[in-house]
Amino acid sequence: MRAALLAGAVLLATAVVQPACARQQPGGPAEELYRTGRYDEAIAALRTRDDATSRRLLVRVLLDTGRYEEAESAALAGGSPDAVPAELANALGEALYARGKLQAAEAAFARAASSSAPDALQARLNLAVAKWERGERDEAMRELDAFIDIYNDGTARSAEALTAVATAVSYLGIRDPQLFHDAVRAYEEAAQADPSLAAPKLREGELFLAKYNSTDASALFREVLAVNPRHPVALLGLARAKAFDGTDEAMALVDSSLAVNAAAPAALTFRAQLHLGLEDYESAVRDAERALEANPASLDALATLGAVHFLRGDRGAHDRARRRALELNPRYGRFDVTVAEMAVQQRRYTDAVEIGRRALELDPESWSAHALVGLTELRLGNVDSARRSLEAAFTGDPYNVWVKNTLDLLDTYPQYVTRPTARFELFLHGDEADVLALYMSELAEEAYDELSQRYGARPTPPIRVEVYPSHADFSVRSVGLAGLGALGIAFGNILALDSPAARTAGEFNWGSTLWHEIAHSVTLAASRHRVPRWLTEGISVLEERRARPGWGEDVSLDFLIALKSGRILPVSDLNAGFVRPTYPEQIIHAYYQASLVAGYIEQQYGERALRDMLRAYADGRTHEQVLRDVLRTEPDAFDRAFDAHLRSTFATQLAALDVPARASMARGPAQVGGEFVTALRAARSALEAGRLDEAEQQAGRARSLFPEYAGADGPYLLLRDVHLQAGDTAAAAAALREHVARRESDYDAHIALADLLERLGDARGAADVLERAMYIHPYDAAVHDRMAALYAATGQHARVVRERRAILALNPVNRADALYRLALALLDAGDRQGARREVLRALELAPNFAEAQELLLRLQGETQ
Amino acid sequence: MLLGMLALLTPAGGVAAQASGSAHLVIISGLSGEERFARDFVAWGAALAAAAESRHGVPSANVVWLAEDAEAHERIRDRSTRANIERELRSLAGRAGADDRVLIVIYGHGSYQSGESRVNLPGPDINAKDLAALLDGLRTQRVAVVNTTSASGGFIHDLAAPNRIVITATKSGMEANETVFGRHFTMALTGDAADTDKDGRISLLEAFDYARAEVEREYQRGNKLLTEHAVLDGVGDGKGAAELAAASPHAQAASSFHLGAVAAAALNAAPELRALYEAKARIEGAIAALRARKDTMPAAEYDGELERLLLELSRNGQAIRRLEGGGS
Repeated sequence: MRAALLAGAVLLATAVVQPACARQQPGGPAEELYRTGRYDEAIAALRTRDDATSRRLLVRVLLDTGRYEEAESAALAGGSPDAVPAELANALGEALYARGKLQAAEAAFARAASSSAPDALQARLNLAVAKWERGERDEAMRELDAFIDIYNDGTARSAEALTAVATAVSYLGIRDPQLFHDAVRAYEEAAQADPSLAAPKLREGELFLAKYNSTDASALFREVLAVNPRHPVALLGLARAKAFDGTDEAMALVDSSLAVNAAAPAALTFRAQLHLGLEDYESAVRDAERALEANPASLDALATLGAVHFLRGDRGAHDRARRRALELNPRYGRFDVTVAEMAVQQRRYTDAVEIGRRALELDPESWSAHALVGLTELRLGNVDSARRSLEAAFTGDPYNVWVKNTLDLLDTYPQYVTRPTARFELFLHGDEADVLALYMSELAEEAYDELSQRYGARPTPPIRVEVYPSHADFSVRSVGLAGLGALGIAFGNILALDSPAARTAGEFNWGSTLWHEIAHSVTLAASRHRVPRWLTEGISVLEERRARPGWGEDVSLDFLIALKSGRILPVSDLNAGFVRPTYPEQIIHAYYQASLVAGYIEQQYGERALRDMLRAYADGRTHEQVLRDVLRTEPDAFDRAFDAHLRSTFATQLAALDVPARASMARGPAQVGGEFVTALRAARSALEAGRLDEAEQQAGRARSLFPEYAGADGPYLLLRDVHLQAGDTAAAAAALREHVARRESDYDAHIALADLLERLGDARGAADVLERAMYIHPYDAAVHDRMAALYAATGQHARVVRERRAILALNPVNRADALYRLALALLDAGDRQGARREVLRALELAPNFAEAQELLLRLQGETQ
Repeated sequence: MLLGMLALLTPAGGVAAQASGSAHLVIISGLSGEERFARDFVAWGAALAAAAESRHGVPSANVVWLAEDAEAHERIRDRSTRANIERELRSLAGRAGADDRVLIVIYGHGSYQSGESRVNLPGPDINAKDLAALLDGLRTQRVAVVNTTSASGGFIHDLAAPNRIVITATKSGMEANETVFGRHFTMALTGDAADTDKDGRISLLEAFDYARAEVEREYQRGNKLLTEHAVLDGVGDGKGAAELAAASPHAQAASSFHLGAVAAAALNAAPELRALYEAKARIEGAIAALRARKDTMPAAEYDGELERLLLELSRNGQAIRRLEGGGS
């Protein structure tokens, strides 16, 4: 899609280039009206004039505002195309081109280009671009190359001429990426030559965006909008930049652009793509078809329409759209790239690679296709072929930061090792592989068995799990850029996640994250990658909660604030919460809400309902069809029923919270009042004053009002403190157990609970809590040593061995001692051969290690 | 702050070598500045002084502790003023035998300004060059100086000399934040955890490696950037190193400087026991030689030979323990 900006932007740019007369009469009233976006008034003023300059501008204003038929008529002025004066031929060509009348447009361009009309150079550019768009790239390149000579011989001095040169050079950049710098320079010279001209700024903005620089692109679009807030092309450009940045403003901006030009194919196509990202196929088709009504030759619109049909499973319609596009341009690889990009968005990675390769058959110079294939191959775990494609992409387009970052990441792969398990391939950094593999392999296998049984799908092994000790590396692996907020990602059979080393202990639970991603792998397999985002996320969070007490997102204070403030999305719009959140917490809320929806479906429609839904998606049915066919309900009815369920579920909590009518998520829970908060504050005050009975009562009251709240200031830690002060260790442990059952990542609380349980003589309980702490932070050798002792005390020899191995994996200073203790554990577990091997390793390091010597002799049978 | 010095110790090698010379420990605790530091420095000094005597057999008279507050602990001999340090080191130089070993451990806060590294003391500070001059009186003895203070890295260069080992908590004078190296170095010398070769003694190399690893672990646990990087100079090159390969000259020197006198009893033992010790030294030599050839041998051959030698050494060790009454 991004690469299409460059190709697709040409007509946009030509559409906004003002005729030379505008420069000659910059202060004229009609020109000023046009420049500031008062289009109707400008049109009225221009209709009163009959000179060629005014008529060119009239055509331009009509094109900008979507009055394509009128634009063509204005250019013709009642005559035939052949009779149009040379001064109007290029304007006529642009009007015809905008309506898809390509042959007639090219004839008009040719006539203008061979004349001495003031816009002859623009016509020459339009002619070359038209050839490019027909797939005659080599011939187009020859004609575009001539613009370099025009620049070098100094004949391109006007802003319009420099803009034309810059645009020509930007096309040439496909074979010489350094020329993009020259294009930028020429655009800037054009803008200096005539600061009032929007075209060079818009074109430069489009070029920046095509080269992945949304910051500079946005600045240029804003510069144009500062003069004309209604400029449809600048609004569209800014919308694209916002979409590039992943913010939620794109839709509103493109709507603003369409408010000025409701028929603009580029804007309609872009909006169709936004709809597609939200999995709203109906709206996407509607916009793509409207774009094609305005311009039946719009290649981008055809590609987007093809993508919608492909994702909906209508291969016939997709193929028809593709044939139409290729009839217009037999080298139009962009069609397949667009479909493949959309397939990636919908997690259809295998399809995307196949389609991307088809694009390369049509256009081997499609660097975006090389990049797409490479990045997607990596998501499928095909590292070697991915690298080849990425290197090809980088050679052709060294500005692609995703490709560059990913290649840099691949260069670090020799530092990783692969640890196979029955159904998984763990790809771990060498520094932590030994310790992580001990816990990860066991957990992954457990998740596979449990989830595949529940959803009736067994992803084909091996599932590759890549674990990155650097969050930036995980982020690059996931989206090609640093800064992703997520903890894990699933590409089907390829999973990637942060290792616990990537974050501060207590920030996340890698065990629940892994479980979550494996659940994705299963639901993607069950639905043949067609499950909507909200449902796969909802099931994954639901399954986290099932896996271990405390795992998975629970209701939070800010979710309740959002619910009470009416900011929770209906289920039918829930995808938007993931794809384009409108407030920072919304994506977290969407995860949680989706899990509630999944739970609600199970509760209302039976245990097999989710499984049946996944199968229905696998058959290609839409969300609406799935609700009707599987759940026997309508989308609106389902939305209403779930909303009622939500409010009923949290009725107590909502009643105990006083949320201001204008609650701001940005201000957070601090603004909340009500009975719950009052009880917490009273409990804290009573505890500080030593009134323990009152503190217990108030904390208990807070707990009953909002039992899910387990923040650092929550009722459970308060109760723990109350009981500890009262000397009641058992009660303190019970309170802390409640806390960790809701806070999967609170490492310190887990350790503290294990301390209390040990004090109570509950070795098994303490070991269990520490076992769960390993899913947060497995790097503390002292905790492993403690676990080994607890497991030894409870006769769990295999676990003692595992803990001893974990200590060794942490590279202890006293390695000989660690090996000796591992040998003892192995002996206790009945593995004499293993014990002998390890004690010899210990003695190799410390030959005079008396205890190890005794063990060796014992294993030799020389002593008891 | 303090500077402490432990002297001691027994070099590696055969029975005879282990018995030569006496050990001396000098602990210097400098200005604390805050109560928590005062508590730490006294606790570390006391633990080190006690361990020197009880664990490592350093005679009580050979343990000197100078501290900020002479009343803070019964083992403290005097205040850690510059004059007192000069007096004690000159006295030590006068009484130490030529084969003796001297360990000086410094706790406290240091600073680095205008190319000069200092330890903050009650009254005038002492800088690295001052200390180097005082150590000139201990030229024939093996001397080790462990400066655990902040900004101590400058001491590496200024104290460099033949037959001297210098350890600093920081790699340069620019690492001026509070350090934790002193705590871990003290733990290494006062417990068993640092005895990685399990020979019952703790070499300076073992103590250094242990403390360095624990410092890193402490910073990791606290999610802090590591702001102290300890270094060791075992050969007097004035630079030192942090990661010490076993075969490096720095490591060789530090591994032969032990806290802990060994088996003095062996020297006076009955012939049977003495023969066992001689056999032990022979087997240890064979193991060391085998390990040196490891990379040039087929793995199976190496493993087989190693196992044979380890079994032989284990039987020997068991026999020694039985004769010495240690059971087994």
